[in-house]
Amino acid sequence: MILTGYKIIKEVKGGKIKITPFDHNRITTNSYDLRLGSKLIRYTSKTLDPKIKPDFKIMDIPKSGMIMQAGDFLLGETEEMVGSDSYVPIIHAKSGTARMGLFVHVTADLIDIGYYGKFTLQLFATLPVKIYPYMLIAQVSFWQPKGKIVLYKGKYQNSDGPKPSMCYKDFGKINK
Amino acid sequence: MILTGDYIFKELLKGNISIYPFKRSQINPNSYNYRLGKTIKVFDKFVNGKSVFKKVVIPESGYLLEPGKMYLGNTYEFIGSKKYAMSLIGRSSMGRLGLFLQVSANLGHTTSYHKWTLELVALKPIKIYPKMIIGQISFWTNFGRIYKYGGRYAKINKPQESFININIHDFNRV
Repeated sequence: MILTGYKIIKEVKGGKIKITPFDHNRITTNSYDLRLGSKLIRYTSKTLDPKIKPDFKIMDIPKSGMIMQAGDFLLGETEEMVGSDSYVPIIHAKSGTARMGLFVHVTADLIDIGYYGKFTLQLFATLPVKIYPYMLIAQVSFWQPKGKIVLYKGKYQNSDGPKPSMCYKDFGKINK
Repeated sequence: MILTGDYIFKELLKGNISIYPFKRSQINPNSYNYRLGKTIKVFDKFVNGKSVFKKVVIPESGYLLEPGKMYLGNTYEFIGSKKYAMSLIGRSSMGRLGLFLQVSANLGHTTSYHKWTLELVALKPIKIYPKMIIGQISFWTNFGRIYKYGGRYAKINKPQESFININIHDFNRV
């Protein structure tokens, strides 16, 4: 079952959902609206290889905005730290974002229960689109789990900004 | 409701979820990590309104996916459930590298059991390896009586291109 906005507020107050900073006005019927942070990552490696640490640069989005060209792929961050030890979060674009042709994730919408931190947004523009720091860009919904909960303890825990893929760190170990 | 990793394992032992081959280390807090199979199909050309794909065996040394192309792959594992609906996505570690594992078709129907076809789209040139852990599947409880899916793809175990043209002909005949 998916939580309603009203239930999300109750669980934020009760501490079962953490959203920092939290603003009542950004609750929607079934989700909470998330803002884009101010940092972006652009990979500078010509070819990406999950076995090798990628090269990248970190940039600030100017207050006056930044244009992503069609085909651009950048990693962004949510301004909010989000997580729950009781519910499973799923990230979505705001429909207004999607209507501009901008993806906010690349088939990786599911957050592990127990994760807490900023979400890394996988920004992919299918049309030229201007983005601004702190604009409302995405939304998070919360889903009730069934079964005993074992919390996430992975390599992206407590992310405080956009995090590039750390696939290379355990590629050899997990792919045995 | 979405099943937790612990519950996925319990239901696997009961036979309500099937994953073969299965490794306990591939269980996540609320999903299971699946692997990429050993072959992919590379889009070659568009002829008479139909996409033609070429089969490629992914070398152990890796295969480079190019942006702007679409590739069909499959899961290394047979995955299915007679009791739960499924959602198949990529791992966040692959999403962060700009690799789509499906093209807005994440839903897996209750009662299907097969090697799933993946739709790989790369936003940057990226290397893939046979049998690498590449995505995740989650399991969801149903509400209502389960009516068996009679879909064309439910028992297919190789990267399978779309049958959609055939569907259109069927439709036109009616």
